[in-house]
Amino acid sequence: MMHDTHSTPTLSIQNVSKHFETGKGTVTAVDHVSLDIQQGEFISIIGPSGCGKSTLMNMIGGLITEYDGSILLDGKPVRGCQPEIGMVFQEESTFPWRTALDNVAFPLEAGGVPKDKRHVRAHELLDLVGLTGFENHFPSELSGGMRQRIAIARTLAFQPRILLMDEPFAALDEQTRLLLGDKVVQIQQKLKQTTLLITHNIAEAVQLSDRVLIMTFRPGRIKRVVEITLPRPRSSEMVGSEKFAAYVAEIWADLRQEASKGLKETEAAAAH
Amino acid sequence: MALAKQMISRVTLYRISAALFLLTLWEAAGASGLFFKGVLPSTWFIGKSLIRLSGDPIFWGHFSVTLFEILSGFAIGSLVGIIVGLALGMNRYSGQIFEPVIEYLAATPKVVFLPILLILFGIGVGSKISLAALSCFFPMTLSLAAGVRGMNPMFLRVGQTLNLSLAQRIRMIYLPALVPPISTGLRLGFGIATVGALLSEIKLSNKGLGHAAMQAYARFDIPTMMAILIVIFALAGLGNMLIGSIIRLPGPNTRRLTKETS
Ligand SMILES: Nc1ncnc2c1ncn2[C@@H]1O[C@H](COP(=O)(O)OP(=O)(O)OP(=O)(O)O)[C@@H](O)[C@H]1O
Ligand SMILES: [Mg+2]
Repeated sequence: MMHDTHSTPTLSIQNVSKHFETGKGTVTAVDHVSLDIQQGEFISIIGPSGCGKSTLMNMIGGLITEYDGSILLDGKPVRGCQPEIGMVFQEESTFPWRTALDNVAFPLEAGGVPKDKRHVRAHELLDLVGLTGFENHFPSELSGGMRQRIAIARTLAFQPRILLMDEPFAALDEQTRLLLGDKVVQIQQKLKQTTLLITHNIAEAVQLSDRVLIMTFRPGRIKRVVEITLPRPRSSEMVGSEKFAAYVAEIWADLRQEASKGLKETEAAAAH
Repeated sequence: MALAKQMISRVTLYRISAALFLLTLWEAAGASGLFFKGVLPSTWFIGKSLIRLSGDPIFWGHFSVTLFEILSGFAIGSLVGIIVGLALGMNRYSGQIFEPVIEYLAATPKVVFLPILLILFGIGVGSKISLAALSCFFPMTLSLAAGVRGMNPMFLRVGQTLNLSLAQRIRMIYLPALVPPISTGLRLGFGIATVGALLSEIKLSNKGLGHAAMQAYARFDIPTMMAILIVIFALAGLGNMLIGSIIRLPGPNTRRLTKETS
């Protein structure tokens, strides 16, 4: 993807750091992270568990407002939640008392969209995530992956310009994950949304992204940015290709160091 | 499926035999001569009194006064309890400041407030309604405050990303998420509101089932008193059952689901 270096980036993260005060001292979750994201770009963040990915997303999404540095949306500083930014959480977040359809329609209902209109829209979105026919099912009657797709459709419902997704496919098996990845690419291409995806899965990051950010184990810094120049549209069939494998190997080499650092540290902490 | 059916019928069977056992025990104790004559009247006399009362307009007058007191006290106490419980659960500081006091008062029998309420609202229905309201306020408040704190924080985060107003958060997230503790609070509260209304009727009043029971007692008409007590128990039990079946979460009936899978 070509970047117009003269235009203001849609999202600009400048020197952002976040420290947590805990009973055992200060934890630096995010350390001087800077990143510019252009309109329509698809960025993945990949890094070992506990490196501060969710923290970073919560700062961008406005759920954490106390931090150092600044985050700019279209050049203007943001604190607090913005209607332009939609979030899909790592944790289960569907409302168990609402049907799939009413879950997806939730943001529209809050926005005062009349019932018939929001139901039409929610139907379209459920179709988009492949859940046609499950409109009247409650979350407890669906699988974890289906619930996560409801959460995605619910976030898409209010048409955010920027989509932040925190490991939305973590609970899925590899096959479903790849197929859903196709779906996400289709949706993103169709809606031209700027997307930030947090993932543990290298293949998923390569398949979906324009750029992959590799984060270090604590303190969370950006270790390297890998541009993925594979042609679009991409589909899961690409996963077998040689070029694809080269990207995966490249990212894994970097990630491996960080992951083993993380493992060693947790083992050392456990031994104490 | 067959197993579930078998289970249910077994439970019903146990219930019936337990009821029969108690009935026999009652009759045996009454006939044994261990108690004063007439203190444990035969169920047959109680049944006769019940039938006589059901045709007595004076009894129905007392009944409707008591029902009115219970229902209004219950409605007021539950509503205020929901509001205060939400406020306590949603605000960490107000919870820390007021909850110990509320917990302490909740454990106190509410009759101790009756003299104050009699002064404030007189010996008519006012003092009965206020005692019923006060009685069911506490379990509702505590049940709801605990429910708010136990809520899945993700629900609120979704609301936060959408910049929902306080009214929207309460209507669209808190209240539906809190249906189980509200239902528990209502069911506990109904029984306690009944007790509250009746206790204050027994203490000082000129109307209501509690008053009627005391009159029967003064006449040493024990079967009638027992019959009135049975009506009161039935009222409390029926209210509890109705609330349990009306205030339920939407969504699949879990009991039915497990039945289908077994
Ligand atoms: N509210 C908090 N209070 C204290 N420490 C926190 C808090 N939130 C996160 N942390 C710490 O910050 C670090 C980063 O957490 P974060 O959830 O951002 O990691 P992550 O990269 O999303 O991990 P995972 O991949 O396992 O989801 C962790 O060490 C965590 O213990
Ligand atoms: Mg995380």
